[in-house]
Amino acid sequence: MIRTTGLVKSYGAFTAVNGIDLNIPRGQVYGFLGPNGAGKTSTIMMLLGISRPTAGEIRLFGEVYTPERLDLRRRIGVVPEKHPRGVWAWMTAREYLSLFADLFEVPRAAERIDSLLSKVDLERFRNKRVKEFSRGMLQKLSIIRALLPDPDILFLDEPISGLDPIGIKQVRDLIVSENREGRTIFISSHQLSEMEKICHRVAIIFRGKLMVEDTMANLLSRMTPDREIHVELESIPDATVSRLRDLPFVRDVSALETTLIVRLSKEGDFRKALSEQLIREGLVPLSIAEKTPSLEEAFITITQENIDLLARGGKR
Amino acid sequence: MSGRLHASAVIARRQAFETLLSPGLYVTLAAGLVMGFFLVSGFSSSIDSAGFNPALNPLYDLISRVLAGSFGEAFVGKLFAEGPFTLTLIVSFLPVFLFLSISSVFRFGQEKSAGAIELLTYGPSDGTSYFVASFLKDVIFSAAALLLIAAFLWITAGAGNLVLGPLFLVSLPILFLLSLAAFAYGILCSILSSNASAALAGFLGILVVFLLVLAGSFAVAGSSVRTVASVIAAVLQWISPFFYAALCARGFQAGSLFGLLGGMGLLIVLTAAILVVSHFLIRQRGVRA
Repeated sequence: MIRTTGLVKSYGAFTAVNGIDLNIPRGQVYGFLGPNGAGKTSTIMMLLGISRPTAGEIRLFGEVYTPERLDLRRRIGVVPEKHPRGVWAWMTAREYLSLFADLFEVPRAAERIDSLLSKVDLERFRNKRVKEFSRGMLQKLSIIRALLPDPDILFLDEPISGLDPIGIKQVRDLIVSENREGRTIFISSHQLSEMEKICHRVAIIFRGKLMVEDTMANLLSRMTPDREIHVELESIPDATVSRLRDLPFVRDVSALETTLIVRLSKEGDFRKALSEQLIREGLVPLSIAEKTPSLEEAFITITQENIDLLARGGKR
Repeated sequence: MSGRLHASAVIARRQAFETLLSPGLYVTLAAGLVMGFFLVSGFSSSIDSAGFNPALNPLYDLISRVLAGSFGEAFVGKLFAEGPFTLTLIVSFLPVFLFLSISSVFRFGQEKSAGAIELLTYGPSDGTSYFVASFLKDVIFSAAALLLIAAFLWITAGAGNLVLGPLFLVSLPILFLLSLAAFAYGILCSILSSNASAALAGFLGILVVFLLVLAGSFAVAGSSVRTVASVIAAVLQWISPFFYAALCARGFQAGSLFGLLGGMGLLIVLTAAILVVSHFLIRQRGVRA
């Protein structure tokens, strides 16, 4: 759906985006991550056609995309991080949405506006002025505006920033439901725990370069060379720890009070063998759980690795 | 209709609606008409057996002195040769013109700073759609204001047994085209500036410089100090809408239809050139503050 090749954006001598290749398949929830100043906004601005790449190519829906392709921009919905509140302050929610419906030539606009307002529980506020909307209501209104023309892809920049837990859940549910209807969703956010819940695929950008782009499952799997299994026991005899260490598929074993932390090789599924060994030891596992790294841990690991690399002058 | 034109029409409609709701348009229009009324009535009382004598009316005495000081006696003589209506038209239109141009420049700057233009351009419109919309709105309102003022003056002339005169009729399209070029400069300043205040300062600065250049071209050359200024003015006048408006007026007074239409054509070309430059600039610089 969106493919970029060697995307570069320079501002004078400073290169904000340095040769990024992205591939965003249709129907995915795509997370675009990076620390502040990583080049996320510059990349998004190019993808939206707001700014022109210094070099490289963007293909949207299979066609070469430039800021002049207003026909392709029509198929994109955008929810910016900050809604320009003051300018539309005097308009009611309905008037505000009608303006954008006119702009996008939305057929049967009134029906569409009403149906979208009810979808996010804002139908009661259709005649309320935009200036009286709370942050959460404004965010939902912004999402409705972006959905008005029934876009093929929805860009969301920090969609849950500043929202209360109920607002976060409502926006998350809305994103998931729009994706289930087949819409591709592109999200840029720092709320990594939320991204982990909804994204199928993520890209991490750092200092203008793409560090990693993969499915969420692959990315998290790549973060650890071994599988980490946490076994809760009533007690852990020292001899058990040393015997487990001798097993060929065990990489490492440590004990933390009544929790046995076993690192297993990824070259097979050795969970059953581990359980059998524990039973042979006469131990009763109270719980066995696999510890997977969170997206936050993955993000920190990837970016920190590069910060360290830069500090060492580029030598690994 | 292309996407860009459609977007311009939608945004222009919205801006026109907001302008109609604001009191500024009505206040400036009313102020212009009141000033027009005083100018026409003052002119009537400045006529004696020898014709127009500005000394008979304090308002006209002041106006004549100011204009003679800036543009020379000959200019004042020509301006009032056909009666008060050409000056009245300019004076009556000035508040509306300033309101339309200043509010457009200010709005452009404010919406750019707030990110509203960017929000409008997420979709089938771009920065050019936005400034074309702003320009269209100003074109429509300035045309309507000029027609309204002209109708008011026509009625006033009839009531006072005065005639509007051919220069007045020619001044209408010249003033209209002049205002279009000024609106285009407003757009250019808005694109080049990062905020509303800077855009406004730039726009008003440009108008003042062009007016000074025009005044300089009418005034009698005096000291050597003016040499450098006149060189700068000679260069600047080619991008000044006032220069082409003056060409139109000169062409008309010389009885040259070619001069009149040529001047008007050049005003249109200047406006188009500023808008084309604006298009490329906004493509290059984007719509972010």
